[in-house]
Amino acid sequence: MNKIILIVSCAFVTLLPRIVPYFASSALSRLPRFLRKCMVLLPVAALGALIFPLALTDFGSMWYAGLAGVAVAFAVSLFRGPMILSIILALLSTAGMLLAFPA
Amino acid sequence: MVNGKEIREGIHDGFPIFLGYFTTALAFGLLTRTSGFLFVEGVLTSMITFAGSGQFLMMNLYNAGSFLASIIVSVFFINSRYIFMASSLSQRLADPSSIAGRLMCGFGTVDEVFTVASFKGRKLSYSYMAGLIFTSYVGWVSGTAIGYLGGTFLPAVVQKAAVITVYAMFASLLGSETRRGIKAFLVASVSALLNSLLILVLGLSTGLSFLISMIIATVFGALLYTDEEAGLE
Repeated sequence: MNKIILIVSCAFVTLLPRIVPYFASSALSRLPRFLRKCMVLLPVAALGALIFPLALTDFGSMWYAGLAGVAVAFAVSLFRGPMILSIILALLSTAGMLLAFPA
Repeated sequence: MVNGKEIREGIHDGFPIFLGYFTTALAFGLLTRTSGFLFVEGVLTSMITFAGSGQFLMMNLYNAGSFLASIIVSVFFINSRYIFMASSLSQRLADPSSIAGRLMCGFGTVDEVFTVASFKGRKLSYSYMAGLIFTSYVGWVSGTAIGYLGGTFLPAVVQKAAVITVYAMFASLLGSETRRGIKAFLVASVSALLNSLLILVLGLSTGLSFLISMIIATVFGALLYTDEEAGLE
């Protein structure tokens, strides 16, 4: 297989669905009210599925290390901690779990 | 119109994405080398595609000896979620007219950029988006190059723990949204539970499962929120 053809065609089918909607944005803004509402709520709906279950399965049998990181990050921001603090504490929690409870 | 303050804010907001991407891309770069790609080919993949899951899928199928056409179709399907993400984000641009600006935003609409930009809570300038996308992109491309040349040189536990970075970023955004209203938590829970069920119990591919979960949770959210809560004028 020609690798350049592979790389370029995969890039094409990745960029196409990302770029085209930006050129339909005025049509999208005239959609029925309910669908426009859906577009507003899409990010929060995406968040749950972006986190679970991959944050756990990425760690295989040590899924609890992923869970600890996600729970800590969530709790920190729930109590108004800045995002960078969420991430640092999540990293430490996950690393700590990996060291404390190796599979 | 280039606005330095907006660019700097974008770079600042992109820093967590940079961290997560850089460490993930180290693994991708190494994978391209062990798959027999040249250095230029590996780096080119990240430079022109700029997609985490899609690129890993491409390499896995390539290594499994799949046909070109079947790789392309699979990569398209795992990326189909971007149609919805880009549609949603396009409605938040401060100036929707610039062609170059829209091309840049389209190129940069990856999961993490989409999420961070969406929760900015105001209209998005192209300067802000440029800072955010550029920072993420540098992390992804430089990580690929360094991973190809040096492998994942980080200690094993650091490399493994670093996987949590982007998930922590998502969880942090969810925490802030939940503080503003419990409905956000409910909507995210629906997609989290559905996605877990479809992948772990029914064994669906992650691309299809994500798409179904996101759409169902979105409709649930649109029924749950009032127009005012959703910020519809």
